[in-house]
Amino acid sequence: MSDDILYSIRHLTVEYKTRAGAVRAVDDVSLDIRRGEILGLVGESGCGKSTLGKALMRLHDGPASITGGELWFDGRNLMDLSLREMPDIRGAEIGMVFQDPMTSLNPVQRIMDHLTETIQTHEPETSIATARARADELVERLGIRHERLRDYPHQMSGGMRQRVMISLALALRAKLVIADEPTTSLDVIVEAKFLDLLKELQKEFGLTILLITHNIGVVAEVADRVAVMYAAKMAEVGTTGEVFADPKHPYTQGLLKSVPNIKLDGGDLYKMGGEPPSLLKPPSGCRFHPRCPFVMDICSQEEPAFEPVVADHLASCWIYQEAGARNSSGKHQVHNG
Amino acid sequence: MAKIDEQLPEALPEGATWEVELRKVGFVRRLFMARRWYGADWWFVAISAVGVFAFIIIAFFPGLFAPFSPDALVGPSFLAPGAHVDLPVLVVPATSPVHTLQDLAVPAGADRSTVAVIEGAPTGGALNEQSQKIDQVIKNQPGGLRLRPIIDRYPTLEGTLQAVVNGIDKSAVVQTTQFNAIKAQFPTLRVAASITGVTSTAGGFMLGTNDIGQDVLSRLLWGTRIALIIGFSSSIVSLIIGVPLGLLAGFVGGTFDRLLSLLMDSLYAFPGLILAIAITAVLGPSIFNIIIAISVLYIPTYYRIVRGQTLSVKEEVYIEAAKSIGARSREILQRYIFPNVIPSVAIIFSVNVADAILTGAGLSFLGLGLPPTIADWGIDVARGQRFIQTAWWMITFPGLAIMLIVLAFTLMGEGLSEIFNPKLRDR
Repeated sequence: MSDDILYSIRHLTVEYKTRAGAVRAVDDVSLDIRRGEILGLVGESGCGKSTLGKALMRLHDGPASITGGELWFDGRNLMDLSLREMPDIRGAEIGMVFQDPMTSLNPVQRIMDHLTETIQTHEPETSIATARARADELVERLGIRHERLRDYPHQMSGGMRQRVMISLALALRAKLVIADEPTTSLDVIVEAKFLDLLKELQKEFGLTILLITHNIGVVAEVADRVAVMYAAKMAEVGTTGEVFADPKHPYTQGLLKSVPNIKLDGGDLYKMGGEPPSLLKPPSGCRFHPRCPFVMDICSQEEPAFEPVVADHLASCWIYQEAGARNSSGKHQVHNG
Repeated sequence: MAKIDEQLPEALPEGATWEVELRKVGFVRRLFMARRWYGADWWFVAISAVGVFAFIIIAFFPGLFAPFSPDALVGPSFLAPGAHVDLPVLVVPATSPVHTLQDLAVPAGADRSTVAVIEGAPTGGALNEQSQKIDQVIKNQPGGLRLRPIIDRYPTLEGTLQAVVNGIDKSAVVQTTQFNAIKAQFPTLRVAASITGVTSTAGGFMLGTNDIGQDVLSRLLWGTRIALIIGFSSSIVSLIIGVPLGLLAGFVGGTFDRLLSLLMDSLYAFPGLILAIAITAVLGPSIFNIIIAISVLYIPTYYRIVRGQTLSVKEEVYIEAAKSIGARSREILQRYIFPNVIPSVAIIFSVNVADAILTGAGLSFLGLGLPPTIADWGIDVARGQRFIQTAWWMITFPGLAIMLIVLAFTLMGEGLSEIFNPKLRDR
C-alpha cells in the first residue's frame, strides 16, 4: 500500500439484523482515503453512507455488525483490534462530527469539560491546567471566544456547536475526521462559513476529512475527490473536477442533471425514473439497472466490477467494461491512481 | 417571570380591562395559571419548602419547641386543648416550709398533720389515695416517717381556706381553679405542688393531654424526628440500591436487564403496605426493620424510572459522540448517562419521602412498626382511635401532622418536577 493512503477500506460489509432478514447496508465496498484530502461521500438517503462512516470507527452495536472486510488505517487493520482497544483509536486518531449539533453534546457538561475530558481520556498524564490551555488555544483558532468555554451546549448556536464538535476531533490531532452530514441542520450562511473552516483546517493541520453528505453542492465546493454510493455499493470515485465534468456512471450522470443550475435556461429539471431499491431484496446484477437509461442484457444478470475507467476515476458499470474482458470469477479488483 | 412581561402587548387599549390588569399582577396571574396547569408554580415550591424546612428543624431540635418530654406524665388525662388545668393542689400559709405532699410526713407517733378539704369534694378522695401511695413507699425507708394526714372537712371553700389561715389546719387541698378564683381574699396563702406531683403549667396544654396524661403537643414534636428518620433513611436506602441497578440494567440490557426487571416488577406488583407488613412481621418491630421494609418497597420505583431514562438517554447522539471521542463504557455511564438521569431521581425522591412517611405511620398504626414507647404519630393515632368520641384531639393532631408533612413533601416534589420539566413550563 502506498504511503499517501491513510485509510483503505477493503470489501467492507455491514449488516443490520431485522425481523425481515439481514439487510446489507454496506455491501462489499472498497475505497481509499488519501492523506490530507477532503473526500466527499455522496448518495441518497438510506444508501449506507452514514453506516459506512460509523463502520470506519467500528462504532456499531445493537442490530448492526461488520460481517466482512478489512479496515486498513495508517498501516494496521482495525478489524484485528479487539473492541476494548478501539476507544484508544476513537477520538485520538479518528474524530467524528455528527449531523445534529443540537443533540451531539452532553447537555449537562460545560464546553470546557467536553474538551478537557477528551484530552484526558487519551492522555491521562496531562494536567487539568495544560488541558485547559490547549482547549483555549484550540477554540480560539475556531473562532469561539474564550469566555464561551464556560457555557453549556444549549447556550450556543448550531454553528458554534458544530465548531465545538470539530475542536473535539482536533484536540488530539486526529488524523482523520469523519463529518457525517455536518451542515444538514445549519442554514446556508453558517454552512458556508463552516465549510470554509473545514478547508482552512485541512490545510493548516494537514487534516484528512471524509465528508458524508447528500448535498452535491457542498461536495463540489470543498471536496478534492468524490465517492458516489448507490444502494450499499460504490458507484463511482474520482477527483471532483472529473466527476462533475465527465460523470461515468449513469447514476452520477442522472444525479448531476437533477441538480438545479443557474446556467440552465428553461426546460424541466431531469427526473430519475423509479425509486431506490429495497436493500432487503436488492436487484440482481447491477443494482442500478431497473432505473438505468442505458440498460443492457448483461446488467440484470451479472454485477459489474468496480474498475478504473480512466486513470484515477473508477466506476462500476458495464458500459465501460467489455463483457469478455471481465474477470471470470467476478471478483472485484480495486486500482488506485 | 420576565418572560411574561415581555409577552405583554405594548399597545394595550386605553383603560385596559380588569383582565389585563390581572395579567400585570404577577402573583394573581400565577395563582390562576397554577390552577389551570393542574400543577404547581414556584410559590407552591416555596411554601412547601418552608414547610419541609420547618419539619426538619423541629426534627433536629424537638427539645427546643416541646414544653415537656414526650414520655413524662405531666398532667391529668384527657385534658382538652387549651383547657385550664384543674389539679388538686396543696394550699399552705406563705411562711410554711411545706412544698409537696411528702413534706407533711411526720415521725411515727408524733402528731399527724391536719389537712382541710371541702366536704363532698373529690379532692378528699384524691388526697387519701395519694397519701397512702406515698406512705407505702416511705414507711420502709430509714427515718421512720409516716404520712397519715388527718382530714378535716368544711362545708365551704372559704371555710376550708380560713381554717388554714387561722392555723387550725396546716394545709388545705383544693382545685387550682377554685383557689385562683378567690386568691385575692387570702393573701397569706400560697399554692404548693399538686398532690399527684404533676407539674402543671399556667398555660395549660395547647393540644391537650392523652389517656395517660402525656402532652399531645410534645409527643407531636418529638414524633417529627421518627417520621423524618423513617422517610429519609428508607428513601435514601432505596435510592442507593435502585439507581445503580436501574443504570446497569438500562445500559447493559439483555438477560441481566430482563431478569432484574422481572424481579422488580414482581416486587412492584405486591400491594405496598401488605409487603411492608409481611417484612416487619418477620423481622420484628424496630426502626431499623421498618426502614428495611419500606426501602424494599420503593426500590422498584427508582429502578424503573432510572432504567427507562437510561434507555432513552443511551440512544442520544451525544452518547454516540462520546463513543466517537473514545469514551469507555464506565465513563459514559458516569459522566453522560448518570448526570442526565439524576434530575428525575431528585424529583421522585421528594415524593418518595412523603410516601415512606405515610407507609411508616401506617405500619406503626397497625402496631407492627415501632415499640409502643417511642413517640410516633402512627402509634398516637392508633391510641387516639379508642377515645375518638371523648378525646378527639388525641387522634386529630397526629393525623394532621402526618397530612401536613406528606403534603409539604409531595407539593415540593410535584412543584420541582413542574418547574424542571421544560415541556410543561412553556404551556
